[in-house]
Amino acid sequence: MKILVIEDEAALKDSIVAYLKQEGYMCDEATDYRSALLKTASHTYACVVVDLTLPGGSGLNIVRSLKENHTDTGIIIISAKNALDDKITGLEVGADDYLTKPFHLSELNARLKSVLRRRNFNGQKVLRVGEVEVQPEAAEASVAGKPLTLTRKEYELLLYFVSNRNRVLTKESIAEYLWGDHIEMLDSLDFVYTHIKNLRRKIIEAGGQDYIQTVYGLGYKFMSP
Amino acid sequence: MRVLTKTSLYYLLVSLVVFAVGGTVFYLTLREEIYDEVDDQLFTDKENIIAYIRQYDRLPNVTSGISEAIHVKQADPANLVMEQLKDTLIFSSYDEEFIPFRQLTFTAYRQGQPYEYTIYKSIMDFEDLTESTVLAMVWIFLLLLVGLVFVNYYTNKYTWRHFYDTLAKIKGYTLSQHQPLALRKSNTREFEELNQVLQSMTGKIHSDFLNLKEFTENVSHEIQTPLAIVSSKLELFMQSENITEEQALLLSDMYGALNRLARLNKSLILLTRIENREFSVEEQVPLHRLLQEQLAHLQEIIAMRGLELQQEELEEVYLHMSSGLADVLLQNLLNNAIKHNKPGGSIKVLLNSQKLCIRNTGDAPQDQPEKLFGRFQTGHDAVGSLGIGLALVKKICDLYGHIPKYNYTNGEHSLCIYFTK
Repeated sequence: MKILVIEDEAALKDSIVAYLKQEGYMCDEATDYRSALLKTASHTYACVVVDLTLPGGSGLNIVRSLKENHTDTGIIIISAKNALDDKITGLEVGADDYLTKPFHLSELNARLKSVLRRRNFNGQKVLRVGEVEVQPEAAEASVAGKPLTLTRKEYELLLYFVSNRNRVLTKESIAEYLWGDHIEMLDSLDFVYTHIKNLRRKIIEAGGQDYIQTVYGLGYKFMSP
Repeated sequence: MRVLTKTSLYYLLVSLVVFAVGGTVFYLTLREEIYDEVDDQLFTDKENIIAYIRQYDRLPNVTSGISEAIHVKQADPANLVMEQLKDTLIFSSYDEEFIPFRQLTFTAYRQGQPYEYTIYKSIMDFEDLTESTVLAMVWIFLLLLVGLVFVNYYTNKYTWRHFYDTLAKIKGYTLSQHQPLALRKSNTREFEELNQVLQSMTGKIHSDFLNLKEFTENVSHEIQTPLAIVSSKLELFMQSENITEEQALLLSDMYGALNRLARLNKSLILLTRIENREFSVEEQVPLHRLLQEQLAHLQEIIAMRGLELQQEELEEVYLHMSSGLADVLLQNLLNNAIKHNKPGGSIKVLLNSQKLCIRNTGDAPQDQPEKLFGRFQTGHDAVGSLGIGLALVKKICDLYGHIPKYNYTNGEHSLCIYFTK
């Protein structure tokens, strides 16, 4: 599956590409408007991650041209512009998602997976790690065929873990994924701990293994066997 | 009071004074003249009568045609009136009213005997004359007055029209409109100068505003991008194997601090954007619905904190504002109520057409309440609090003219926003 990362900041682009390559994607890169347009015109990508402010032109125009020529391609805008109207414009033009900088790579990964699922598998793809299965479109999860009763947040947490399996997820990134902007004001990350404890318990009770590993000092990891 | 009304009133006042003083002086002068004339005639009569008596040694039968009557009586030698002028009223049977007369009394000798003569002259004709003169004068003055006021009003109105035009345009001027002020040319020098000053002033403000906006946007981009780079590098770093516990803690601290910085930057940018009035997208925002959404979203956090949520009142309220800012407002108020609460405490929410109140239990504030809405003011030691949430609330309220009020009673913090429709 080929992904195009359009970002003029080389350091950031390299991080994204490195992260996605570890995820098993094939990655293409572009650092300016012209080369980005050329690449989107000559290749078909499963998803394009595009920055809005690019040397030589606006990322919005790339989104527009993609919407005209490659309607199957998923589009995620990453931008430092966090104004509401910028977001609305981006989504109206046809982007599937909008992330403001700075973002967590794990979150970009989770959103990318969600866009790809919607685009390519008609939402029917089942994510599987060991005995754990997640059906994103139905918002259901099961362990060894037994359905799990999860709260909305627990389900989202599981999806986030499964999308980023074998990676360290920090408490901050988990909290932000689950609560968005609300976490700005909430001082304690104990909520994350509570949710993880509950999720872990439910999976084990349903007969699954303990996949959630605490990484000392950093966060959590969902290990695939 | 409008300047037009004011000048007109002054005009009227001055005219009235001039009219009153002028009229009085005119009347007095006229009166003086008339008396003078009548007296002259009376003295002429006296001369004639004395001359007649001297010549014929008797009273003239017919008056000389000037005096209306002559009264003669024998005078008391001990009490002689040599010459006396005075006003008197005599009843006229024809007009059936008292008529003002001027009388001259004098003594003349005839055959060695003193006789007191009194001659009268009507001054009614002259009174009539005065009356009609004054009347005519009043009319002239009135007409002049009306004319002057009228002319003054309309010429002023014509001259000041550019001023009012300018005033209206300045009233309607907002910085976020992306057009410089266009004022109509005036041939009055003062107004033209005023227009030029205003135009250059607003032009300057406008360009400063654009610069500031540009600066904000640049800063936002310039800071967010390096933050994103560092954050992503750290995340990659964390994925690497063989991190010692010591390193893990260092990494975690760095990551936490970085996230805090990112959030702070985001809030400051938002604050600046509100101050710059960049949120022009306005609509009728269903505040009750937004509040319900936020409450649903926060339900879990509230429950986890062991707090009790009480919805005292939730009326349908529509406010004319940007929905994004309405969200920020509610979010900050609710987060504030959750954060500064004690275990097992409560949050009370009330929304009606007058106000939105969010009350929470908590420790008494250490700072002066009025400082609470400033930047970087944290009520009490809430770890990780940026102290910018209520500053945002205040800014948003200021933008739409709502009034935020805080008070602390009976162990309850109460933050209310009074709507001004």
